[in-house]
Amino acid sequence: MMARCLARFLVSLLALAICNAASVSHPISDSHRSAALDVFVPLDGSYKSLEEAYEALKSLEILGIDKKSDLSSGTCENVVKVLASPSSALKDVFYALSVNGILKCKTGEDVPKDIVSKLQAGAKDAKLLLDFYYSIRGLVLVKEQFSGTDLTLGDAEAIFRSVKALSQSDGRWRYSSNNAESSTFAAGLAFETLAGVISLAPSEIDQSLIQTVKTGILKLFDSIQKYDDGTFYFDGSEGPISTTASVIRGLTSFAASESTGLNLPGDKIVGLAKFFLGVGIPGDAKDFFNQIDALACLEDNRFSVPLILSLPSTVISLTKKEPLKVKVSTVLGSKAPALSVKLAEALNSKGSSVINNQELKFDADSATYFLDSFPKNFDVGKYTFVFEILLDESANEKGYITEAQTKVPIAATGAIGIENAEIAVLDSDVGSIESQKKLDLTKDGVVSLSANHLQKLRLSFQLTTPLGLVFKPHQAFLKLKHESQVEHIFLVKTYGKKAELVLDFLGLVEKLYYLSGKYEIQLTIGDASMENSLLSNIGHIELDLPERPEKAPLPPLHPTDPYSRYGPKSEISHIFRVPEKLPAKQLSLIFLGLIVLPFIAFLIGLTRLGVNIKSFPSSVGAATSALLFHGGIGAVLLLYVLFWLKLDLFTTLKALSLLGVFLLFVGHRTLSNLAAASNKLKSA
Amino acid sequence: EANMMNLSRSVALISLFLLPLLSFSFSVDNPTDRRVLVLLDDLSLKSSHSIFFSTLKSRGFDLDFKLADDSKLALQRYGQYLYDGLIIFAPSTERFGGALDSKSIADFVDSGRDLILSADTSASDLIRGIALECGVDFDEDSSAMVIDHSSFSLSDGDHTLIAADDLVKSDVILGKTKIEAPVLFRGVAHSLNPTNNLVLKVLSASPSAYSANPSSKLSSPPQLTGSAISLVSVMQARNNARVVISGSLQLFSDRLFRSGVQKAGSPNKYEKSGNEQFATELSKWVFHERGHLKAGSLVHHRVGETDEPAIYRIKDDLEFSVEILEWSGRSWEPYVADDLQVQFYMMSPYVLKTLSTDKKGMFHTSFKVPDVYGVFQFKVEYEKLGYTTLSLSKQIPVRPYRHNEYERFIPTAYPYYGACFTTMAGFFVFSFVYLYHK
Repeated sequence: MMARCLARFLVSLLALAICNAASVSHPISDSHRSAALDVFVPLDGSYKSLEEAYEALKSLEILGIDKKSDLSSGTCENVVKVLASPSSALKDVFYALSVNGILKCKTGEDVPKDIVSKLQAGAKDAKLLLDFYYSIRGLVLVKEQFSGTDLTLGDAEAIFRSVKALSQSDGRWRYSSNNAESSTFAAGLAFETLAGVISLAPSEIDQSLIQTVKTGILKLFDSIQKYDDGTFYFDGSEGPISTTASVIRGLTSFAASESTGLNLPGDKIVGLAKFFLGVGIPGDAKDFFNQIDALACLEDNRFSVPLILSLPSTVISLTKKEPLKVKVSTVLGSKAPALSVKLAEALNSKGSSVINNQELKFDADSATYFLDSFPKNFDVGKYTFVFEILLDESANEKGYITEAQTKVPIAATGAIGIENAEIAVLDSDVGSIESQKKLDLTKDGVVSLSANHLQKLRLSFQLTTPLGLVFKPHQAFLKLKHESQVEHIFLVKTYGKKAELVLDFLGLVEKLYYLSGKYEIQLTIGDASMENSLLSNIGHIELDLPERPEKAPLPPLHPTDPYSRYGPKSEISHIFRVPEKLPAKQLSLIFLGLIVLPFIAFLIGLTRLGVNIKSFPSSVGAATSALLFHGGIGAVLLLYVLFWLKLDLFTTLKALSLLGVFLLFVGHRTLSNLAAASNKLKSA
Repeated sequence: EANMMNLSRSVALISLFLLPLLSFSFSVDNPTDRRVLVLLDDLSLKSSHSIFFSTLKSRGFDLDFKLADDSKLALQRYGQYLYDGLIIFAPSTERFGGALDSKSIADFVDSGRDLILSADTSASDLIRGIALECGVDFDEDSSAMVIDHSSFSLSDGDHTLIAADDLVKSDVILGKTKIEAPVLFRGVAHSLNPTNNLVLKVLSASPSAYSANPSSKLSSPPQLTGSAISLVSVMQARNNARVVISGSLQLFSDRLFRSGVQKAGSPNKYEKSGNEQFATELSKWVFHERGHLKAGSLVHHRVGETDEPAIYRIKDDLEFSVEILEWSGRSWEPYVADDLQVQFYMMSPYVLKTLSTDKKGMFHTSFKVPDVYGVFQFKVEYEKLGYTTLSLSKQIPVRPYRHNEYERFIPTAYPYYGACFTTMAGFFVFSFVYLYHK
């Protein structure tokens, strides 16, 4: 229960917001027509079901968009198939006949007999409201589309009574006798069904029965929901749009079928029209159809046709001297009958009347009523205009109705004069003026001031309305913006004729977070009635404030710029260790040459000294061992070279130990041979 | 109140720390959300906002509409989430029905799922609380609206229907097609928490905007003014969960989608506002149809080789590559960018290089291993406005030269070599002379 109440409250809240936004209803226009083409887009040339096809075709037909030729082939195929098949459900038959009514797939004398008998049987045996609805409405459609058959309902009054038996005392209806739950949506279906029964009945239905239905209809209107702005709707589990549309469809057919006429409260009918117009352009196909179909019913019915007063613009510009335009049309935007529009009253924001009883002029070419002269005391501001529509006598035949009074919020805007704008730095104690500058607020960045914490900044200007009165704007801000993006906003208040702001920096040091430096000064003046709202960068002021005490609050953080936060970082390449600086190769080669020189000098020295190897042993044994000895030494030296070139220490030591033993042996032999030879020489 | 605030703040903080630890909800192969729960405070929103919902449906989303106070609301059953995304179009709801509260919504986002939250004037504390956890502060004054006397839609006498055109410059968030017409906005202002760097403005107000009650005189300076006011913001959490927060529910409505717009002071008149394009593109982003990146493994090898070594030696030349793909909503497409970078990292980056792309999704570079040995990482940390964050790394050790890898015959030492060998040759000659001279 709670939730339901809340939901209802929210509906009204939302609708109120919508109505505020729209402020005034507009009849169906071209924007609806272009939207309809988007909303009713068939998939691959045809619609999913005949119900959808009917809704689309009907809506497009009402809006005057001809798409039949594109759609007829595929859809007609379906229609013929459903009408030919004896096993089709009542609902499908009903929608097939509905589509047929628009596309004329099957016409003439060729009445589908099976279908008629099926529908007649359906009407006779029906227990559920929906069965009654589909069969009776189906028969009505057959009657409209195919001529020359006797379609009268045998026992019309009995059917009427059994449908009526499903009604409830509050005007709502049940879907079946077993189900106690009643619905407003069902009531709409029931009215349509009953209208069908009346038109199909061979003889007149008992007037007292019809009268009870009429009483029920009035009961139903007691449960209507209302918004503050005079919008009415019926609520139900199917949603307000479907429910209200169903009721309106039902009422229209019911009123059309019987002769005595329905007497419905006119303000509620206008309210229902306003509800559908207030919905705007639904994006959902079903809602769109319900809106358009219900409005079409309101456009052409036998109880009352609402006229809608609309304003192309609710803003009047006093500088452009535009007239205030008002249009009156039916809900679907067709021409209204002869009538006159009167501005009963124009109330300003304080509630006092500015304009009284003024009739609007009519321009027949544009079918617009307009008000082109405003009284001298009409100034900028917000107004509520109250319009009245007076229908001419001749228009009353068709049962046109209008709202008693249409209240429209109007904003009158104009250019506000800005004068005597001044900015000054004052010395605090004496109030003497240090520096004062006239300001031209249309130019940016002309002022450059400086002040310390003992001084004051004064900004003043005068705003006047076109009538020369003092104008107090909604928005008059002075913004001081420090280099570090810290901002401070001050209100410029209006005292008497002057808007003035005095900033005493001594009292503001804490608020300014002791931030010295350059502050940009920005002045914003704006109001809904002001056409020349401005945002002016006056210039800058250099503030010299005391040092920040330790305990003072820090300026707030500012969000970082998202563009600089991301993005690639600068590349890093590793700096390799610089290799040791080596001398040039040539230098090494020169020194290599120098190193080799002593060896060459040694060889030359030896030849100079006349060395010989004459004592080399001549005997075979001694010579062999000497050669082996020197060969061994050579091998050791070679081993060293190999060690340098490629061998590792272990291989080298192994080879060296072998060579060492060998050298020891042959060396001993060679030396002992040499010793023996020299002994022999001595002894000789 | 204050305690509640602190509590929710700390919850937000904790959740931020926890985010990276929680697993991804999306299947890795198909990151777009499929099942979306739509919470409404009034079922009539379903028809008044039907274009937005039908564009979602036509893109394959499975929308489940529920009233926000439905007593059977639940986001998960038996520990499994029932939805991949959540749309909250219930600005006035004070309390959700069923098992839903602001904490379970925070958990939902923490699990990597996406959220579209729309507040409106007189948004409830619950909605404000959820926004606060995402780093968005709505104006505390519940009667305040965004007013702009310089960039309003000309059809509006109150100057509260803002024609905003200060959009974030990001193709990934708002699509490649420029949004020409201004976006119409009527609602409440918010600011971003400066300490939260995950949240950013998508639609900002103009410098002349302010947040106040349009029908009463101002007695004190407004809390939010100028371009500090954000109209629509997005947040991408560390786990790549995405959140859109709008201050206006009407922004998504059929009425504003279909409305024409002429901004005050501008001669351009547009047949249709930018709202539909803006909302559609933003929903593509938030439900991961765009800007969701996937990386293959990091591939590296020495120049001239193809196999990945187990270890590098200092001063090796190596080639590095990685494949990055972007989800297009249906398939993985090669990602093309010129700002992807790789780091060769040990405690701090030793090498940071921008990768070059072959436009087929492969990114390459080559560089020399630094002459520092230790355990390094290849790191690709990619953060770009609107894209999911990539954080990849792969460990690789680097060793110094072995003893036999140094230079062998140093020219500078030639004199020493020469000295040795001439001495040896001299000794050999001298041994003959000494022994056999006569």
